Amino acid sequence: MAPSVLATTSADLGMGNQRQRIIDAMIDSCAEKTYAATTITDIVSRARISRTTFYKQFDDKRACFDAAVGHCIEQLQGVAAAAHDREDTPADAVRKGTAAVIQALAERPGLAQLLTGDAIAVDPRVIECYRKATIPPLEGLWSRGEGEAQAYSDPRLAFGKAQVLILNQIAIGKAERLPELLPELVYLAVSPFGGHEAALHQSQLATEGTAADVAAGER
Amino acid sequence: MSLPVSDSPEDLRRWRLPRGRHGLPRELVERSQRERLLAAVVKVTAANGYESTTVGDILGEAGVGRESFYELFDDKLDCMLSAHKLLMDDLEERVRDKYLGEDPWTERMRRALAATLDWFAADPDAARFTLVELSTVGPAFRPTFQAEFARAVALLEQGMGDDAPQPELAQANSLAVGTILARIYEEVVLDRAAQLPSRLPDLTYELLVPFVGEEQARAAADA
Repeated sequence: MAPSVLATTSADLGMGNQRQRIIDAMIDSCAEKTYAATTITDIVSRARISRTTFYKQFDDKRACFDAAVGHCIEQLQGVAAAAHDREDTPADAVRKGTAAVIQALAERPGLAQLLTGDAIAVDPRVIECYRKATIPPLEGLWSRGEGEAQAYSDPRLAFGKAQVLILNQIAIGKAERLPELLPELVYLAVSPFGGHEAALHQSQLATEGTAADVAAGER
Repeated sequence: MSLPVSDSPEDLRRWRLPRGRHGLPRELVERSQRERLLAAVVKVTAANGYESTTVGDILGEAGVGRESFYELFDDKLDCMLSAHKLLMDDLEERVRDKYLGEDPWTERMRRALAATLDWFAADPDAARFTLVELSTVGPAFRPTFQAEFARAVALLEQGMGDDAPQPELAQANSLAVGTILARIYEEVVLDRAAQLPSRLPDLTYELLVPFVGEEQARAAADA
């Protein structure tokens, strides 16, 4: 019967919305006062839900935090993938993906704070999750599906370097100015498989013309 | 008479005041208590994590009374941050000593890097305390991290003499500090701090390549 189907659907949607509101509240609270200082009370008051509702969705603060980290990684993967297409060279694709991710982080600094600061503090092994989410796609871009890509330097380390730079920018309180770091971050993203020269070249392209990428995206 | 203790970590570790009636001047007693507490907070926090550590744990390790603790520090965080500053001062002094000078810049960079790796390898507790546990203290983490990062970048800049390369990246110095920090952090988290000195060639390459390009960086790494 149609009405009951509708009812079920909206109830499901309600659950999904609540879960998302809780995750958003966790991200915002961590951005404001760090994970260590965030309490369940902070989260439920920000999300405008009851404690009971919180505990229906998550076992505890840590479980909620892990879900928030997973959500952020997924969002950014989507942003990076949508920023380039098959016709781009590997180096161009990496530059465009990096620029899009940094733009997304600048628009919502809480995400950057969560991923580069709090997530590492809560469990340093989280950096392995980031690597699993990024290095295989990167390698795939460079090898074009033909065997292994040659590495100039350790791509795992490049990730740590980027994390430290972003964390520092946020610690200074300039999260909205993250795009100023774009030349360095593009350099880091390209250099493991592209080498120093290609990385510098892409870094210069990023400096000169995010404008060109924006125009290409609007086409 | 000079005091038999300094603010160096060696003295922090070595120095133990005899218990009971020792007849030492009050100033010296307080100083020794402070240093024992700083050594204790490093050891206990590295072992148990900052969050699980109580002031009582620190007192037990240091053999100092609660009243004395609160005469010297506001709270656990104050004690932790004081120890952190002391350790970072010591690291800076050692690296500064190797880095500033007349020799070619790439050589001085390699020596400064070696000194940094040795410092973290020599004391895994201090390494875990300064890098991993600091990030769990709450809001005080961000200004502390930022201040120490800025201090490292400033030292790097101070030693960029006439022969230093002009990198094309505007923030190459921040990138260099990030490179060192990322590698050391990784090894410390995985409890491999003792192996850090063996990473010197790899890390020399990683550190120098944005400044001098592939060829020179490889040459410096293999030197």
